[in-house]
Amino acid sequence: MATSNKFDAIVVGSGMSGGWAAKELTEKGLKTLVLERGRNIRHITDYTTALQDPWQLPHNNRTSTIADRAAQPIQSTLYLYDQSTKHHFVNDLQQPYEQAQPFSWYRGYQVGGRSLMWARHVFRYSDLDFEANAKEGVGIDWPIRYADIQPWYEHVERFIGASGENSGLAQLPAQILQPPFEMNALEKHIRGRMAAKFGGERKLICSATAVLSREHNGRGPCQGRNQCARGCPFSAYFSSNGVTLPAAAATGNLTLKPDSIAHSLIYDEGRKRVTGVRVVDAATRTTTEYFANVVFLCGSTLNSTALMLNSKSSRFPNGLGNDSGELGHNLMDHHNGGGATASYPGLSDRYYRGRRSTSMYIPRFRNVGKREEKFMRGYGYEVYTNRGSWTRGIDNADFGADFKNEITRPGEWSLYTEGYGETLSNHENRMWLSPDKTDSWGIPKIHVSMKYGDNEKAMAKQMMDDAVEMLQAAGLENIQGFNREVTPGSVIHEMGTARMGRDPKTSVLNAHNQVHAVPNVFVTDGSCMVSSPTQNPSLTYMALTARAVNYAVGQLKRGEI
Amino acid sequence: MLMGHAAFGQVMTAFAAAPRKATWFTDPEMATLKALVDLILPATDSPAASAADTHYFIDLAIPACASADAQKTFRSGLAAMMRFAGLDPAEQVVQLKARAAADMPLAYDQSFFKILKDYTLCGYFLSEIGATRALAYERVPGGFQGDLPLAANQKAWAI
Repeated sequence: MATSNKFDAIVVGSGMSGGWAAKELTEKGLKTLVLERGRNIRHITDYTTALQDPWQLPHNNRTSTIADRAAQPIQSTLYLYDQSTKHHFVNDLQQPYEQAQPFSWYRGYQVGGRSLMWARHVFRYSDLDFEANAKEGVGIDWPIRYADIQPWYEHVERFIGASGENSGLAQLPAQILQPPFEMNALEKHIRGRMAAKFGGERKLICSATAVLSREHNGRGPCQGRNQCARGCPFSAYFSSNGVTLPAAAATGNLTLKPDSIAHSLIYDEGRKRVTGVRVVDAATRTTTEYFANVVFLCGSTLNSTALMLNSKSSRFPNGLGNDSGELGHNLMDHHNGGGATASYPGLSDRYYRGRRSTSMYIPRFRNVGKREEKFMRGYGYEVYTNRGSWTRGIDNADFGADFKNEITRPGEWSLYTEGYGETLSNHENRMWLSPDKTDSWGIPKIHVSMKYGDNEKAMAKQMMDDAVEMLQAAGLENIQGFNREVTPGSVIHEMGTARMGRDPKTSVLNAHNQVHAVPNVFVTDGSCMVSSPTQNPSLTYMALTARAVNYAVGQLKRGEI
Repeated sequence: MLMGHAAFGQVMTAFAAAPRKATWFTDPEMATLKALVDLILPATDSPAASAADTHYFIDLAIPACASADAQKTFRSGLAAMMRFAGLDPAEQVVQLKARAAADMPLAYDQSFFKILKDYTLCGYFLSEIGATRALAYERVPGGFQGDLPLAANQKAWAI
């Protein structure tokens, strides 16, 4: 074995979790190799579309061309997809997977992964979330509680920099936040009316968002472009590329290898440890083995789980660490089918300047104080408002000078809101590997099968009804509730296929994200999740990653792994 | 180096002076299209759609972006209006109003008028002329101010 292939630690994946693993490991002095299956994207330098005007982009930045839809039939359906962002999403034809039922898998195979294009909402989970499975007899219990993760939330928040408003509600714990972005006139109006009507139980706040409203460690603040998914030349939102990977590189301990697809983990039967990772070069398809004392899997939920399933040995014939048989099972995503639209005829003398890259938020209020009869768990709402733009002129029969004069003026205020609901853990929702079909790199294709259940459907109905009720209370007009079908995967919070737990018979990872039976392998992306609380999950992945690194390095120093 | 700059300038002048050629539509179709986009978005206190080359935008964007059905609808719709550019302006308005009324109940891919409106507005308002002169546009706003009084002459933001 070549000495250059030996490291202290290997991290598979360079996105949200992988960037954090790299930063924490290198800062603790470990020579760390980060394997990224996609191409390199250098911070700022490679954000090729970041400052382009609409007319500089193909077809004035229309969402997709015929060629785009052919090459990226799934990716091109995403709200974020346009001519300025499409290069941050995979070619679906080159990266195929099998869907037992429709499952939209939105992927960014590049350095930084989806941390380049994420929606940036960062909320903590609370004990309402960590205790729910045990109290209600759903799935298995989380092996941790809020007190275990609270210092790591703080650790992460201090470094990433986030802005927003603390709700003062126990179900959404207080965070370290910069001042929020300002509400517009309609949002202020709604906030006041909701406070009067719901007495603090339901409230409108500015989302906690990993977007800087103030300078932080030489980054930002946000310049109001709201073009985050192109990459930010001002480093104003958190991404691996802009924040954690540079910190890791600054230690001198980081080796970053793009275009390096992890094929399988190398298991030593005698030592009962993983000794390294088999890697296929994306371009040449040659295989190289890299070795380390500890391995962190941060390749995103389905890919980290696939890597474990593809790591078979006589000890682990069904995939590394899969003594429980749960590996690949319990796949979750959020659901966001229930919501409402509305308009507001007043406040026509108020406007805004700049493009705010966050939303307003209504924290969860169902199943908090009292138990609902129709469903378990709850949902929070993202709320978006603006004044009408020229696009309101598209879908009508009008034309001419008066028409042009009218639609070039700010139009009526309008609002869009959708709930983000918890999805219960269900053994039947799962992914597995094809027994005979492989991708271009000789790695078995991933199959996915996921359906929302009765609890999610009952919840979605209430999500719509509550949205309508709140907008009525706020005095909005033309309120239209909706409860639409959601394709699993489309919220892009896939999680749960290598869950944590106390019992190795029912879980894959322990309370420190450590594979029960292989103590030098840690899995800290969304696959570790035991339940899928209503809040956006990335902050929790980052906090669990930092916590797991701290634990792993302690064990390494004591010679325990 | 100076020579290089001078030569480059001459090339650019020559390029700008050359008449622009459509790629997908015929010259008569382009004449109709030019009349249509200017009827939808005429010169007001900002230039007309054709001054921003909106008809050339449509010539590139429809074959690249529109579905096969929408392309077919648009092409045949345009073919049915071959003498449109030669009509007097009042008659053009009457004909386009009739077309709009007939097309509004149709699905997008079957509606010439809906496709025309979509691409005309996108082509004009996201062009440099449309975004910066008919509307207000800031590439880098420099931050966010959430609640400001609306100035009397304030145009809507382009994006």
